[in-house]
Amino acid sequence: MAAADVKRHSKKRKAAPEEEAPAPPPAAFPQDVGLEMGSEDEGEDGGDVSDDGVVDHFPEIDTRSDTEDEDYTEDGEDEPDESEEDEEEDEEDGESSEETSDDDLGIFPKAKTVISDITGQPKRVYPDIEPDYDSDSSTEDTPNRVGDIPMHWYDDLPHVGYDINGKKVLRPARGDELDKFLKTVEDPEAWTSAFDKNLQMDKPLSPEELDIIRRLQQGENPDASYDPYEPTVEWFTGKGKEEIMPLSAAPEPKRRWIPSKWEKQKVMKIVRAIRQGRILPNKPKTASTQPQFYPIWNDEPSSAPAPLPAPKPRLPGHAESYNPPEEYLPTQEEREKWEATEPEDRERDFLPQKYAALRLVPAYDQFIKERFNRQLDLYLAPRVHRVKLQIDPESLIPKLPSPSSLKPFPVYKSLQVAHEGRRVRTVSVSPDGGWVVTGDEGGVVRLWEVMVGKEIKRWTFKSKIGAVEWCPRTDVSFFAVAIEDRIHFLFPPNLPAAILAATQHALSPANLPPPPAVPSPVKWVSVPAAQSSTDAPILSLHLPSSPEPPKQLVWHRKGDYLASVSEGQAGVWMHQISRRHSQAPFKKIKGAVQLVLFHPSKPHFFVATQRYVRMYNLAEQKLLKTLMPGIRWISCMDVHPSGDHLIVGGYDRKLCWFDLELSDKPYKILRYHSRALRSVHFHPTYPLFASSSDDGSIQVFHARVYNDLMTNPLIVPLKILRGHEVKEGLGVFAVRWVPRQPWLVSAGADGQVSVWCS
Amino acid sequence: MGRLKQKGKAGAAKAYVTRTAAVKKLQCSLADFRRLCILKGIYPREPRSRKKANKGSSAPTNFYYAKDIAYLAHEPVLRKLREHKTFAKRLSRALGRGEWSSAKSLEENKPVYRLDHIIKERYPTFVDAVRDIDDALCMIFLFASLPSDSKVSPTLIENCARLAAEWQLYVMHTHALRKVFLSIKGVYYQAEVFDQTVTWLVPYQFTQTIPTDVDVRVMLTFLELYQTLLGFVFFKLYTDAGLVYPPPLDTKKDEGAAGVGAFSLQEAKDTRPPVTTTSKVVEIDGKRISSKDVRQTIKSITASNPDDPDVQMTSVEAAQANDDDEEFVEDTTEENPDEDTPSAPAFTTATLPTLKTLSTLPQSTSSKLFAPYTFWLSRETSRPIFEFIVRAFGGRIGWPATSGSGSPFDETDESITHVIIDRPAVQKPNETEAERERRRRRKYVQPQWVVDCVNAGKILLEDLYAQGKTLPPHLSPFGERADAYNPTAGLIGGEEDEEMDEEEVVEGEGEDDEVEGSEDEEPVARPAKAALKAAAAAEDAAALRAAELAAEAAGVDFGTFEKETKKAQKKARKADAPKEDEAEQDMNKMMMSNKQRKLYERMKYGEKKRTVERQQLEQKKRSLEKEKKRRAKSS
Repeated sequence: MAAADVKRHSKKRKAAPEEEAPAPPPAAFPQDVGLEMGSEDEGEDGGDVSDDGVVDHFPEIDTRSDTEDEDYTEDGEDEPDESEEDEEEDEEDGESSEETSDDDLGIFPKAKTVISDITGQPKRVYPDIEPDYDSDSSTEDTPNRVGDIPMHWYDDLPHVGYDINGKKVLRPARGDELDKFLKTVEDPEAWTSAFDKNLQMDKPLSPEELDIIRRLQQGENPDASYDPYEPTVEWFTGKGKEEIMPLSAAPEPKRRWIPSKWEKQKVMKIVRAIRQGRILPNKPKTASTQPQFYPIWNDEPSSAPAPLPAPKPRLPGHAESYNPPEEYLPTQEEREKWEATEPEDRERDFLPQKYAALRLVPAYDQFIKERFNRQLDLYLAPRVHRVKLQIDPESLIPKLPSPSSLKPFPVYKSLQVAHEGRRVRTVSVSPDGGWVVTGDEGGVVRLWEVMVGKEIKRWTFKSKIGAVEWCPRTDVSFFAVAIEDRIHFLFPPNLPAAILAATQHALSPANLPPPPAVPSPVKWVSVPAAQSSTDAPILSLHLPSSPEPPKQLVWHRKGDYLASVSEGQAGVWMHQISRRHSQAPFKKIKGAVQLVLFHPSKPHFFVATQRYVRMYNLAEQKLLKTLMPGIRWISCMDVHPSGDHLIVGGYDRKLCWFDLELSDKPYKILRYHSRALRSVHFHPTYPLFASSSDDGSIQVFHARVYNDLMTNPLIVPLKILRGHEVKEGLGVFAVRWVPRQPWLVSAGADGQVSVWCS
Repeated sequence: MGRLKQKGKAGAAKAYVTRTAAVKKLQCSLADFRRLCILKGIYPREPRSRKKANKGSSAPTNFYYAKDIAYLAHEPVLRKLREHKTFAKRLSRALGRGEWSSAKSLEENKPVYRLDHIIKERYPTFVDAVRDIDDALCMIFLFASLPSDSKVSPTLIENCARLAAEWQLYVMHTHALRKVFLSIKGVYYQAEVFDQTVTWLVPYQFTQTIPTDVDVRVMLTFLELYQTLLGFVFFKLYTDAGLVYPPPLDTKKDEGAAGVGAFSLQEAKDTRPPVTTTSKVVEIDGKRISSKDVRQTIKSITASNPDDPDVQMTSVEAAQANDDDEEFVEDTTEENPDEDTPSAPAFTTATLPTLKTLSTLPQSTSSKLFAPYTFWLSRETSRPIFEFIVRAFGGRIGWPATSGSGSPFDETDESITHVIIDRPAVQKPNETEAERERRRRRKYVQPQWVVDCVNAGKILLEDLYAQGKTLPPHLSPFGERADAYNPTAGLIGGEEDEEMDEEEVVEGEGEDDEVEGSEDEEPVARPAKAALKAAAAAEDAAALRAAELAAEAAGVDFGTFEKETKKAQKKARKADAPKEDEAEQDMNKMMMSNKQRKLYERMKYGEKKRTVERQQLEQKKRSLEKEKKRRAKSS
């Protein structure tokens, strides 16, 4: 057994040096790990292993295997020269010659050849075997006690098989993962061992096996003895080894021995080209680096237009000079300001500097950066073709007739009537143009004369006045005042008897007209004509209660109908004086009604909600059109005496002019007031209109409307009248023209009522 | 009913593509796309509505015309770029495998793109090209002065320097230089070539370093294009001027830092038969040019040529040998050797071979401004700048050997009339008699004199610019806007204002005095003034009468009173009239449409800004002058 072992050993040795002798062992396979490790340690390790391996049965140490182990490791760690020695030995071994070798140092008992005394022939004599422990292999441990069986049969059983006595051989205890790891740490050789299922223990790999692994890892042939560079054996070539039988009986084609004519022609073509210099065989095909220039612009240019040239940079001004006039030099503040601004926001990309001499001018440090920025502009910046306007900005202002040619219009304030500091919300001028009635927030209604401003009469009510409005009839003379939820009808003093009678008859007739079939919630209360006086209202209408007084009263042109607008739903009432009857024309209206207006000639009715103006036909009771002024909140509205044009003012400072024949959209939108518009009014006879605003100003316009449908109305701003003070953000509340005169009456938040004359 | 319109199928959505989409369509890298855009001159556009162009998104993106990108798609350069990509891949593979020979053959067959067709495409006519060489010249001159490094190869810089020298030579030869401006950034030159003003900026001679935040690749791509463009432009300019292009370089001189002088201009043999030029009816500026005119011009030019000192021309005979090598000589001269009669040497020397060059020839005398003078450059002045300027205006110039070789004469030359010197005047005690004599005969001027003369178009007095003197301000010859501040104007309106101001100040003082109650000085003048004011304000006769009485009481005689009254009234009226007008205008502004109003306001804003700027400068000047006066008084 030992001999066999040694034999195997030597064979191994032979294989290993063959591989490793030419070069030191490759680093990829570190065989010399743990060179310093003492053999005792290893022995101990081995003992441990065996301890672990066969737990209870064979506790003794296998010295034999130890030494073998040692041998292996030493072999593995042999230095080249040693291995060479071994090689020599091996060679000798391999020869196993008959010659005597006095080398008996080996473990293997060497046979000696001696001349037999008996036969006289040489014979081999082996040394005697000493019967000590080493000589007997029966004492060796045979770790596998279950026989040569497929071990996977017992993979999931606690035992690994049965021993010769039929007893179960239990699976030796194996440490847990931690133990395994510790083992790998403690034992540097651990990685060269593998678990042997047959033996149920870790068995170190032999150097051959390790070598095979190394070869497999390196992608070499695993067989160490394989020689990839064997000399070729020429089986079918060479003298006397020719194939005698051809594969095909076809006669050999001509092309096998005649040179190709076409190939020759092609070659000759190239040759000729080379000779003539058309082909330069050694010239690099990339053209010479030097660009060749030729008259590129000599032939006709294409008809396509040239691309637009890039805009040229601005030429430098005086400030960029190295020696600029002194006034260009920045002051300290300018310099600081320039430095504080971002480079992109700077108006100039440099600070003017002054040098006494040219030799003192330093290099400009931003030069490359500026060139680079220019290039970025050239290829990265979007370009837009802009037409540069070479016009005088003044020419953009429309040419309008001079205001002086459009006289008369109000120019100056002729008189002023004070309302003791209360806001005057409403004003109305009598149809004959002689009287003005104003109402303020304190509940005072004043009647005064236009020419001199003399107050004729004053009425005092308890709460603020919502609206006052003269009846447009000339045969009677009275006006309506809206307070709380009432509308009072008053007539001025000192009326001619005929007119007074007519007025009294109109407002409180002796025999009342029959009450309407459908009772209205509005109550008509009148004082008999005999008892009526100028001090108290002759007629009062009790509207359904609402928190605010009616904000607008508007008369129909004929003076029989009066429309009132109060807050809230169904706030629009139409009152007929002759029939003493009130009715609400709209059951329901989208949006809160701001204003209403009668058409001057047709039975049309305008209703302005917050954003839209709707135009209804009262006779047919249907919606005619909806005008969209584009104003967020409509504040005022008036219709031109011709009835074809409407102006609408809004709290968002806009004034829209609608041509009713034309479109639902405004013909013109004007924005000239700096605050909300409060009131607009057309003059009944003159081509004038005025608007007042919270900025305290009144703007007077000339507005000529042509009968010709094709000509647009002419609007000329004439005059801005200033004189009202702005109080608490409120300016001029109301403007009214005086009929038959180009005069204007305006009422403001400052408690003043002014008359503007031409 | 027509077909339904779908969103994004027509209009701006189709006409514009974003950059990402363009790169995707061209299937090239962003760097290649950038290169293509630079070479082809394609730039982003601003759509009228960004939302419409970008499928409803208002994200900030750049848009290109879809058609531009479609043109790029079949651009030969793009194909070459793709070839180059595969070439680079192959080369790196060959190198990685160590296949040196195949790498070498690959390198030899490296794809190279040419830009000729792009030049022709971008500039269909020569004039288009000349109009657009400003940026190209700036870049060439910049790179000519850069040091070479790993990114900027020395051959590139050499080529830039050569192109720069060629341009300068051409400008000097044709006397095309018009304006020069010494700014803090560098020197601006303006030349007139083919009726196009070409302006370029040359940095002062210092070593520039490329800042880190500058992408050199972008600059190099531009430079690639510019080199080709300038090559073709110069070729055309030179051949039209009857010169050989490229001008041969004398390497020996170049090594001696001769700069522009290292190149020599050679006359090309003109080959066009003169018959064709004369038989053609040519009109310049609407005038018919007869052969007589041409001959006359030629005569005048040939007469002026010999004493033209700026261009060292080799003789025709010498050039002839070289000419045979030149490839671009289109026709050979063998056709009409017998026509080269000695009686018509002008045609053979080809001073005026084409009528095109006729138009480029300088007409004004100011382009030969320095012809009668000889300059000597002092050591500390920049030679390239002044050599170029002086020679472009017909002067002769020499320089010491320290400024480079190739000076046509040395300092002791008797013909020197001006010395351009830029150092403070120093007394020289140990001067020899000859030196002193020389010093007396020559005029020593500071460099600014040369430039100011050029810009003024005439020789200025040298005294202002003498050595060591404080120079007058150097102004831009390019001019500013019409309504901008003019530093040369003597502030005429301003002085009036100043007087007014002073008056007001006096009045103010007077009032103060009155408050104080000390009425000792000028008691008469003030009431008189008040009376005059009252008279001006007086509208009706009664008030006038009252004012007259007041004046009489104050001791002003009637004649002066009347005169003053009239003046004051006129003034008041003048002040009133515009005010009224203004109010009317203001009112008319109401009737402007929104668009017009915005435009008007923008224009007004710009106007106002400029006015404020001008007024600030005027104010500053006034205060500076006051300061100066005060200092002069006190000293």
